[in-house]
Amino acid sequence: MTAWRQAGLNYINYSNIAAKLLRQALKPDLRADAIKRADTHIKITKWENGKPIKESTY
Amino acid sequence: MAAVRSLSKFFSLRSFSTTTKRAYADQMSFTFAAGNQVYYEAKSVKQVDVPSFSGSFGILPAHVPTLAVLKPGVVSVYEDSGNVNKIFVSSGTVTINDDSSVQILAEEAHPVANIDVGTARDILSKAQSELSSATNDQARAEAEIAIEVGEALVKAAE
Repeated sequence: MTAWRQAGLNYINYSNIAAKLLRQALKPDLRADAIKRADTHIKITKWENGKPIKESTY
Repeated sequence: MAAVRSLSKFFSLRSFSTTTKRAYADQMSFTFAAGNQVYYEAKSVKQVDVPSFSGSFGILPAHVPTLAVLKPGVVSVYEDSGNVNKIFVSSGTVTINDDSSVQILAEEAHPVANIDVGTARDILSKAQSELSSATNDQARAEAEIAIEVGEALVKAAE
């Protein structure tokens, strides 16, 4: 068993770290676009009685 | 006598027809896609070398079916033209099917030529300092992964 698995991480975590570092290691002209592409945002708005109560961005 | 001959002919024909040959194609249908780009789509290639958790291995058209999880490293694609295409993969899976089709699915993949050596070295040294300053198991594990990736990046870019 690998050390990171013992520490409670899984392959998805491993993959995310590896992909993030690969994007950072690109030549400067390609880096900015690659990093931008990796960002994902989810906007969640809770509604109650027809009115937005709370908005949060992840 | 004629009956014996025809009988023996029957058996020899029968044994011939029941000899099962594994249905390997002499060509490999190769697909390689990442989150950022599709590199090959059912293309015929000679050989593919992949880095995986079960070791680095080369895939030929007559390879046995296998599943493997990718490690950060360089995938070398030996194209039919004789050209060798080197692409760095962060992670992902490789599937080798019974019909000699091969799929590599990576989270992120870029040609080795697009990696900046200096930045890769910075990433490695930053990861090493993160490991020495890590205070819990999770941070330590994350730093260890970063070191592994950093080493692979530096090795590939040099």
